[in-house]
Amino acid sequence: MNKELEHQFVTELENNQNIVHKVCTLYTNDRDAHNDLFQEITIQLWRAYPKFRGESKFSTWMYRVALNTAITLYRKSKRTIKTQNYDSVIFRIKADEYDATEEEQLKLMYQAVKQLGDIEKALVFLYLEDKDYREISETLGITEVNARVKMNRIKKKLRTILNP
Amino acid sequence: MDELELLKKDWQKKEEHLPKLSYSEIHKMLWKKSSSIVKWILTISILEFTVPHLLYLLPGMKDSMDIYDKLGIKSLSTGLWVIGYAITFYFIFLFYKRYKEISTLDNAKNLMEKIIKTRKTVKYYIIFGLSFLFLTCVMIVVGIYLNDHLSDVFPSGNNENISPEKFKSILLWTMSIFSVVLVAVMGLIYFLLYGLLLKSLNRNYKELKQLEI
Repeated sequence: MNKELEHQFVTELENNQNIVHKVCTLYTNDRDAHNDLFQEITIQLWRAYPKFRGESKFSTWMYRVALNTAITLYRKSKRTIKTQNYDSVIFRIKADEYDATEEEQLKLMYQAVKQLGDIEKALVFLYLEDKDYREISETLGITEVNARVKMNRIKKKLRTILNP
Repeated sequence: MDELELLKKDWQKKEEHLPKLSYSEIHKMLWKKSSSIVKWILTISILEFTVPHLLYLLPGMKDSMDIYDKLGIKSLSTGLWVIGYAITFYFIFLFYKRYKEISTLDNAKNLMEKIIKTRKTVKYYIIFGLSFLFLTCVMIVVGIYLNDHLSDVFPSGNNENISPEKFKSILLWTMSIFSVVLVAVMGLIYFLLYGLLLKSLNRNYKELKQLEI
Protein backbone atom coordinates (compact mmCIF):
# COMPACT_ATOMS: atom_id res chain seq x y z
CA MET A 1 0.00 0.00 0.00
CA ASN A 2 2.70 2.45 1.05
CA LYS A 3 4.86 1.64 -1.95
CA GLU A 4 1.91 2.18 -4.20
CA LEU A 5 1.15 5.54 -2.58
CA GLU A 6 4.80 6.52 -2.93
CA HIS A 7 4.87 5.63 -6.60
CA GLN A 8 1.61 7.45 -7.25
CA PHE A 9 2.87 10.57 -5.49
CA VAL A 10 6.28 10.71 -7.14
CA THR A 11 4.73 10.21 -10.58
CA GLU A 12 2.20 12.99 -9.99
CA LEU A 13 4.89 15.32 -8.70
CA GLU A 14 7.23 14.47 -11.55
CA ASN A 15 4.51 15.40 -14.04
CA ASN A 16 3.60 18.61 -12.21
CA GLN A 17 7.04 19.67 -11.00
CA ASN A 18 6.93 22.88 -13.04
CA ILE A 19 4.59 24.42 -10.48
CA VAL A 20 7.11 23.85 -7.69
CA HIS A 21 10.02 25.06 -9.80
CA LYS A 22 8.15 28.25 -10.61
CA VAL A 23 7.48 28.92 -6.93
CA CYS A 24 11.16 28.28 -6.18
CA THR A 25 12.26 30.63 -8.96
CA LEU A 26 10.11 33.39 -7.54
CA TYR A 27 11.12 32.97 -3.92
CA THR A 28 14.83 32.21 -4.19
CA ASN A 29 17.83 33.82 -5.84
CA ASP A 30 20.30 31.02 -6.47
CA ARG A 31 20.47 27.39 -7.44
CA ASP A 32 21.20 26.06 -3.94
CA ALA A 33 18.32 27.91 -2.36
CA HIS A 34 16.08 26.80 -5.25
CA ASN A 35 16.91 23.14 -4.64
CA ASP A 36 16.54 23.56 -0.92
CA LEU A 37 13.07 25.04 -1.22
CA PHE A 38 12.09 22.42 -3.80
CA GLN A 39 13.05 19.73 -1.32
CA GLU A 40 11.11 21.31 1.55
CA ILE A 41 8.01 21.68 -0.65
CA THR A 42 8.35 18.03 -1.72
CA ILE A 43 8.54 16.94 1.94
CA GLN A 44 5.48 19.00 2.84
CA LEU A 45 3.55 17.71 -0.20
CA TRP A 46 4.42 14.13 0.67
CA ARG A 47 3.33 14.61 4.29
CA ALA A 48 0.04 16.09 3.23
CA TYR A 49 -0.52 13.57 0.43
CA PRO A 50 -2.46 11.01 2.49
CA LYS A 51 -5.03 13.76 3.10
CA PHE A 52 -5.33 14.52 -0.59
CA ARG A 53 -8.48 12.73 -1.61
CA GLY A 54 -8.69 13.75 -5.19
CA GLU A 55 -11.49 16.22 -4.50
CA SER A 56 -9.52 18.78 -6.43
CA LYS A 57 -6.90 18.36 -9.14
CA PHE A 58 -3.45 17.35 -7.91
CA SER A 59 -2.03 20.56 -9.36
CA THR A 60 -4.61 22.78 -7.59
CA TRP A 61 -3.76 21.11 -4.31
CA MET A 62 -0.06 21.60 -5.04
CA TYR A 63 -0.36 25.36 -5.41
CA ARG A 64 -1.61 25.69 -1.87
CA VAL A 65 0.99 23.47 -0.18
CA ALA A 66 3.84 24.90 -2.26
CA LEU A 67 2.93 28.52 -1.55
CA ASN A 68 2.30 27.82 2.14
CA THR A 69 5.74 26.29 2.36
CA ALA A 70 7.40 29.19 0.55
CA ILE A 71 5.58 31.95 2.45
CA THR A 72 5.21 30.47 5.90
CA LEU A 73 7.16 27.33 6.64
CA TYR A 74 10.44 27.84 4.86
CA ARG A 75 13.19 29.39 6.92
CA LYS A 76 14.34 32.65 5.38
CA SER A 77 17.87 32.57 6.74
CA LYS A 78 18.74 29.75 4.39
CA ARG A 79 17.68 31.83 1.46
CA THR A 80 20.25 34.23 0.18
CA ILE A 81 17.81 37.00 -0.45
CA LYS A 82 19.30 40.37 -1.07
CA THR A 83 17.37 42.71 1.13
CA GLN A 84 17.55 45.52 -1.30
CA ASN A 85 14.97 48.09 -0.45
CA TYR A 86 12.33 49.52 -2.64
CA ASP A 87 14.04 52.90 -3.04
CA SER A 88 17.27 51.48 -4.33
CA VAL A 89 15.37 49.57 -7.00
CA ILE A 90 13.66 52.72 -8.14
CA PHE A 91 16.97 54.46 -8.15
CA ARG A 92 18.61 51.73 -10.21
CA ILE A 93 15.98 51.45 -12.92
CA LYS A 94 16.03 54.71 -14.75
CA ALA A 95 13.16 55.94 -16.87
CA ASP A 96 15.02 55.79 -20.17
CA GLU A 97 15.81 52.11 -19.67
CA TYR A 98 12.12 51.39 -19.81
CA ASP A 99 11.87 52.41 -23.44
CA ALA A 100 14.18 49.61 -24.43
CA THR A 101 13.14 46.44 -26.21
CA GLU A 102 10.40 44.13 -24.97
CA GLU A 103 12.99 41.70 -23.73
CA GLU A 104 14.67 44.38 -21.71
CA GLN A 105 11.31 45.42 -20.37
CA LEU A 106 10.54 41.86 -19.30
CA LYS A 107 13.88 41.60 -17.57
CA LEU A 108 13.08 44.71 -15.59
CA MET A 109 9.62 43.34 -14.79
CA TYR A 110 11.09 40.12 -13.41
CA GLN A 111 13.54 42.11 -11.35
CA ALA A 112 10.71 44.25 -10.04
CA VAL A 113 8.58 41.21 -9.11
CA LYS A 114 11.54 39.74 -7.25
CA GLN A 115 11.63 42.81 -5.05
CA LEU A 116 8.04 42.37 -3.90
CA GLY A 117 7.11 40.98 -0.49
CA ASP A 118 6.22 37.31 0.05
CA ILE A 119 2.45 37.84 -0.01
CA GLU A 120 2.64 40.12 -3.03
CA LYS A 121 4.71 37.51 -4.85
CA ALA A 122 2.09 34.88 -4.09
CA LEU A 123 -0.62 37.03 -5.62
CA VAL A 124 1.48 37.77 -8.70
CA PHE A 125 2.36 34.09 -9.03
CA LEU A 126 -1.26 32.94 -8.95
CA TYR A 127 -2.18 35.72 -11.36
CA LEU A 128 0.56 34.70 -13.78
CA GLU A 129 -0.64 31.11 -13.49
CA ASP A 130 -4.02 32.36 -14.72
CA LYS A 131 -5.87 31.67 -11.47
CA ASP A 132 -9.06 33.62 -10.89
CA TYR A 133 -9.63 35.88 -7.88
CA ARG A 134 -11.75 33.25 -6.16
CA GLU A 135 -8.88 30.78 -6.14
CA ILE A 136 -6.37 33.47 -5.17
CA SER A 137 -8.53 34.54 -2.24
CA GLU A 138 -9.09 30.95 -1.11
CA THR A 139 -5.40 30.11 -1.23
CA LEU A 140 -4.39 33.14 0.81
CA GLY A 141 -7.37 33.26 3.14
CA ILE A 142 -8.53 36.75 2.19
CA THR A 143 -11.74 37.94 0.59
CA GLU A 144 -12.08 38.22 -3.17
CA VAL A 145 -12.54 41.99 -2.91
CA ASN A 146 -9.35 42.32 -0.87
CA ALA A 147 -7.47 40.14 -3.34
CA ARG A 148 -8.48 42.53 -6.14
CA VAL A 149 -7.57 45.59 -4.08
CA LYS A 150 -4.18 44.11 -3.25
CA MET A 151 -3.57 43.14 -6.88
CA ASN A 152 -4.30 46.66 -8.04
CA ARG A 153 -1.88 48.02 -5.48
CA ILE A 154 0.79 45.60 -6.69
CA LYS A 155 0.24 46.66 -10.30
CA LYS A 156 0.63 50.28 -9.23
CA LYS A 157 3.75 49.44 -7.27
CA LEU A 158 5.27 47.65 -10.26
CA ARG A 159 4.43 50.58 -12.48
CA THR A 160 6.20 52.92 -10.06
CA ILE A 161 9.27 50.73 -10.08
CA LEU A 162 9.34 50.70 -13.86
CA ASN A 163 8.37 54.36 -14.40
CA PRO A 164 9.90 56.30 -11.55
CA MET B 1 -0.78 47.13 -22.39
CA ASP B 2 -0.83 46.03 -18.78
CA GLU B 3 2.71 45.23 -17.68
CA LEU B 4 1.57 42.08 -15.93
CA GLU B 5 -0.20 40.81 -19.03
CA LEU B 6 3.06 41.06 -20.89
CA LEU B 7 4.77 39.17 -18.11
CA LYS B 8 2.02 36.54 -18.07
CA LYS B 9 2.58 35.74 -21.73
CA ASP B 10 6.28 35.35 -21.19
CA TRP B 11 5.83 33.43 -17.92
CA GLN B 12 3.92 30.69 -19.65
CA LYS B 13 6.58 30.42 -22.34
CA LYS B 14 9.29 30.10 -19.70
CA GLU B 15 8.21 26.58 -18.72
CA GLU B 16 10.63 24.91 -21.11
CA HIS B 17 13.60 26.52 -19.38
CA LEU B 18 12.72 25.18 -15.96
CA PRO B 19 14.85 22.43 -14.39
CA LYS B 20 13.58 18.87 -14.76
CA LEU B 21 14.05 16.41 -11.93
CA SER B 22 13.91 12.69 -12.53
CA TYR B 23 11.64 10.21 -10.76
CA SER B 24 14.49 8.92 -8.60
CA GLU B 25 15.67 12.43 -7.68
CA ILE B 26 12.19 13.30 -6.41
CA HIS B 27 11.84 9.92 -4.71
CA LYS B 28 15.03 10.51 -2.72
CA MET B 29 13.66 13.79 -1.39
CA LEU B 30 10.72 12.11 0.34
CA TRP B 31 12.94 10.85 3.12
CA LYS B 32 14.94 14.00 3.72
CA LYS B 33 14.45 15.86 6.96
CA SER B 34 12.23 18.90 6.95
CA SER B 35 13.71 22.17 8.17
CA SER B 36 10.44 24.06 8.33
CA ILE B 37 9.81 26.57 11.11
CA VAL B 38 7.13 24.28 12.53
CA LYS B 39 9.79 21.62 12.98
CA TRP B 40 12.01 24.21 14.65
CA ILE B 41 9.26 25.33 16.99
CA LEU B 42 8.64 21.70 17.94
CA THR B 43 12.34 20.98 18.55
CA ILE B 44 12.94 24.14 20.57
CA SER B 45 9.76 23.60 22.56
CA ILE B 46 10.65 20.01 23.44
CA LEU B 47 14.03 21.29 24.65
CA GLU B 48 12.34 24.02 26.65
CA PHE B 49 10.02 21.52 28.27
CA THR B 50 12.68 18.92 29.07
CA VAL B 51 16.05 20.60 29.71
CA PRO B 52 15.13 22.40 32.97
CA HIS B 53 13.74 19.12 34.32
CA LEU B 54 16.73 17.08 33.22
CA LEU B 55 18.96 19.43 35.22
CA TYR B 56 17.54 18.00 38.43
CA LEU B 57 18.87 14.59 37.50
CA LEU B 58 22.44 15.86 37.82
CA PRO B 59 24.01 14.70 41.11
CA GLY B 60 25.19 18.22 42.02
CA MET B 61 21.72 19.61 41.60
CA LYS B 62 20.29 17.02 43.94
CA ASP B 63 22.61 18.16 46.71
CA SER B 64 21.66 21.75 46.17
CA MET B 65 18.01 20.78 46.62
CA ASP B 66 18.89 20.12 50.27
CA ILE B 67 19.18 23.87 50.67
CA TYR B 68 15.39 24.10 50.75
CA ASP B 69 15.35 21.66 53.63
CA LYS B 70 18.10 23.42 55.52
CA LEU B 71 16.54 26.81 54.96
CA GLY B 72 13.29 25.47 56.38
CA ILE B 73 11.24 26.04 53.26
CA LYS B 74 10.99 22.44 52.12
CA SER B 75 7.20 22.02 52.37
CA LEU B 76 6.63 25.35 50.67
CA SER B 77 8.98 24.47 47.82
CA THR B 78 7.51 20.96 47.42
CA GLY B 79 4.02 22.45 47.17
CA LEU B 80 5.20 24.90 44.55
CA TRP B 81 6.89 22.14 42.54
CA VAL B 82 3.72 20.05 42.46
CA ILE B 83 1.73 23.00 41.16
CA GLY B 84 4.55 23.80 38.73
CA TYR B 85 4.57 20.30 37.24
CA ALA B 86 0.79 20.23 36.93
CA ILE B 87 0.87 23.50 35.00
CA THR B 88 3.77 22.25 32.84
CA PHE B 89 1.83 19.14 31.83
CA TYR B 90 -1.16 21.27 30.99
CA PHE B 91 1.04 23.38 28.72
CA ILE B 92 2.48 20.28 27.03
CA PHE B 93 -1.03 19.00 26.35
CA LEU B 94 -2.13 22.38 24.97
CA PHE B 95 0.99 22.67 22.83
CA TYR B 96 0.51 19.18 21.38
CA LYS B 97 -3.13 19.90 20.59
CA ARG B 98 -2.32 23.13 18.77
CA TYR B 99 0.69 21.65 17.02
CA LYS B 100 -1.53 18.91 15.59
CA GLU B 101 -3.88 21.52 14.15
CA ILE B 102 -1.16 22.98 11.91
CA SER B 103 -1.79 21.88 8.34
CA THR B 104 -0.29 22.97 5.05
CA LEU B 105 -3.68 22.37 3.49
CA ASP B 106 -5.12 25.39 5.25
CA ASN B 107 -5.15 28.73 3.52
CA ALA B 108 -2.09 30.91 4.17
CA LYS B 109 -3.77 33.11 6.77
CA ASN B 110 -5.18 30.23 8.83
CA LEU B 111 -1.87 28.42 8.68
CA MET B 112 -0.04 31.48 9.98
CA GLU B 113 -2.64 31.98 12.71
CA LYS B 114 -2.26 28.41 13.91
CA ILE B 115 1.53 28.60 13.98
CA ILE B 116 1.37 31.88 15.91
CA LYS B 117 -1.13 30.32 18.35
CA THR B 118 1.12 27.30 18.90
CA ARG B 119 4.09 29.57 19.44
CA LYS B 120 2.10 31.66 21.89
CA THR B 121 1.46 28.55 23.98
CA VAL B 122 5.22 28.13 24.33
CA LYS B 123 5.57 31.84 25.01
CA TYR B 124 3.13 31.66 27.90
CA TYR B 125 4.88 28.56 29.15
CA ILE B 126 8.20 30.41 29.12
CA ILE B 127 6.70 33.39 30.93
CA PHE B 128 5.30 30.95 33.48
CA GLY B 129 8.66 29.12 33.69
CA LEU B 130 10.59 32.35 34.19
CA SER B 131 8.16 33.58 36.84
CA PHE B 132 8.41 30.23 38.55
CA LEU B 133 12.20 30.40 38.47
CA PHE B 134 12.06 33.90 39.88
CA LEU B 135 9.63 32.82 42.59
CA THR B 136 11.97 29.99 43.58
CA CYS B 137 14.84 32.48 43.80
CA VAL B 138 12.71 34.85 45.91
CA MET B 139 11.84 31.92 48.14
CA ILE B 140 15.53 31.18 48.71
CA VAL B 141 16.24 34.87 49.38
CA VAL B 142 13.44 34.97 51.96
CA GLY B 143 14.72 31.70 53.40
CA ILE B 144 18.19 33.22 53.79
CA TYR B 145 16.73 36.35 55.32
CA LEU B 146 14.75 34.45 57.93
CA ASN B 147 17.55 32.00 58.77
CA ASP B 148 19.94 32.75 61.59
CA HIS B 149 22.23 29.75 61.19
CA LEU B 150 23.47 30.25 57.69
CA SER B 151 26.88 28.77 58.36
CA ASP B 152 25.15 25.38 58.73
CA VAL B 153 23.43 25.75 55.38
CA PHE B 154 26.49 27.03 53.56
CA PRO B 155 29.45 25.43 55.35
CA SER B 156 31.95 26.83 52.85
CA GLY B 157 31.31 30.33 54.18
CA ASN B 158 32.13 29.22 57.71
CA ASN B 159 35.88 29.44 57.69
CA GLU B 160 36.01 33.00 56.40
CA ASN B 161 36.84 35.79 58.76
CA ILE B 162 33.56 37.59 58.34
CA SER B 163 30.76 38.18 60.77
CA PRO B 164 27.54 36.16 60.30
CA GLU B 165 25.63 39.41 59.58
CA LYS B 166 28.03 40.37 56.83
CA PHE B 167 27.93 36.83 55.44
CA LYS B 168 24.15 37.00 55.40
CA SER B 169 24.02 40.34 53.63
CA ILE B 170 26.58 39.21 51.05
CA LEU B 171 24.57 36.07 50.45
CA LEU B 172 21.32 38.01 50.15
CA TRP B 173 22.74 40.45 47.65
CA THR B 174 24.49 37.78 45.60
CA MET B 175 21.36 35.67 45.43
CA SER B 176 19.12 38.63 44.54
CA ILE B 177 21.38 39.87 41.77
CA PHE B 178 21.89 36.32 40.48
CA SER B 179 18.10 35.77 40.35
CA VAL B 180 17.42 38.92 38.35
CA VAL B 181 20.31 38.31 35.95
CA LEU B 182 19.37 34.65 35.44
CA VAL B 183 15.74 35.42 34.64
CA ALA B 184 16.66 38.38 32.40
CA VAL B 185 19.27 36.43 30.43
CA MET B 186 17.02 33.43 29.91
CA GLY B 187 14.16 35.68 28.86
CA LEU B 188 16.38 37.55 26.42
CA ILE B 189 17.68 34.35 24.81
CA TYR B 190 14.17 33.07 24.39
CA PHE B 191 12.69 36.19 22.87
CA LEU B 192 15.65 36.65 20.52
CA LEU B 193 15.40 33.04 19.38
CA TYR B 194 11.72 33.22 18.51
CA GLY B 195 11.91 36.78 17.32
CA LEU B 196 14.41 35.78 14.66
CA LEU B 197 12.68 32.53 13.79
CA LEU B 198 9.28 34.08 13.25
CA LYS B 199 10.29 37.49 11.92
CA SER B 200 9.12 36.95 8.37
CA LEU B 201 6.05 34.97 9.41
CA ASN B 202 4.89 37.84 11.59
CA ARG B 203 5.56 40.33 8.80
CA ASN B 204 3.59 38.30 6.26
CA TYR B 205 0.77 37.74 8.71
CA LYS B 206 0.54 41.46 9.40
CA GLU B 207 0.37 42.12 5.66
CA LEU B 208 -2.57 39.73 5.27
CA LYS B 209 -4.28 41.14 8.34
CA GLN B 210 -3.91 44.70 7.09
CA LEU B 211 -5.94 43.82 4.03
CA GLU B 212 -8.97 43.28 6.24
CA ILE B 213 -9.03 46.82 7.59
